[in-house]
Amino acid sequence: MSILILLASVFGGIFLSAQSSINGAFSKKAGTFESTFITFITGAMILFIVILFVGNGDLLKILEAPKWQLSAVWFGVGYLFLTILAVPKIGVIAANISTVIGQLSMGMLIDHFGWFGGLQVSFDIKRLIAILLMVIALRLIYVGNMKAEREATANVQE
Amino acid sequence: MKFGIYLLALLAGAALSVEGAIYGELGKSIGKLESSFYNFAVGTVIIGIVVLFLGKGSLSYTFKAPKWQLTGGFLGVIYLTILVIGIPIVGVGLAMISVIVGQMAMSMIIEHKGWLGSKATRVKKEKIIAVLLMAVALILIF
Repeated sequence: MSILILLASVFGGIFLSAQSSINGAFSKKAGTFESTFITFITGAMILFIVILFVGNGDLLKILEAPKWQLSAVWFGVGYLFLTILAVPKIGVIAANISTVIGQLSMGMLIDHFGWFGGLQVSFDIKRLIAILLMVIALRLIYVGNMKAEREATANVQE
Repeated sequence: MKFGIYLLALLAGAALSVEGAIYGELGKSIGKLESSFYNFAVGTVIIGIVVLFLGKGSLSYTFKAPKWQLTGGFLGVIYLTILVIGIPIVGVGLAMISVIVGQMAMSMIIEHKGWLGSKATRVKKEKIIAVLLMAVALILIF
């Protein structure tokens, strides 16, 4: 079961990456906030139809859900704003890599302490090695991207 | 000053993990698809207000844009729903590593092929090694 979840999550990442390229192209003419707005509204429209026909949860329970659970939307929006703020100052590459590091560290912390009432997974030596590998990988991506960027600007100057 | 900006970007990433963890819990009580819907519906309202007051772009471009540029919402829905289902089963850390591996691998392919409006650039060997290392990290903690 969990191998399927991992595979699905890898696909989730693939979709996310495609989404950010697509939104990047769209936002050049439409604007950043506008592009985000279109993403959210089409997402809401699609899910509305899907839930009508195949939803087996209870949307009305949202009124009874604890407010801290509803606050998740602010974290999503917060992510967007922080990214929009950071990218022009430090560049897409550095911003993305910092984001990923934040995402990983926070993910490990939440697992270790079982924050928010979810699954608890203790931090161990394997996870430490995995984090180190990820940091090395991110460093390599940074180097690779910087090289590509330098070549691109060199080409423009020629 | 620069340091502060890096910190903001770190916080942005941390926010993503917190968001996933909380939606995993919300999904247990109201339903997975319903949680995703909550996010997109309320997100629409919040961003709608932002666009009204701070928007400098052109929303009407939506109707002129090539249709493929409008598929972001669809992709976002799939992504979030997978997380809402997956996080309660494998935890946030593992789910996030998987997502990152998929993201990095895909962005490499997009760049290499010059898809989706990007300029085709040759993939650097550093990035290939990086994605492999990430895959090793994923297998290690699975």
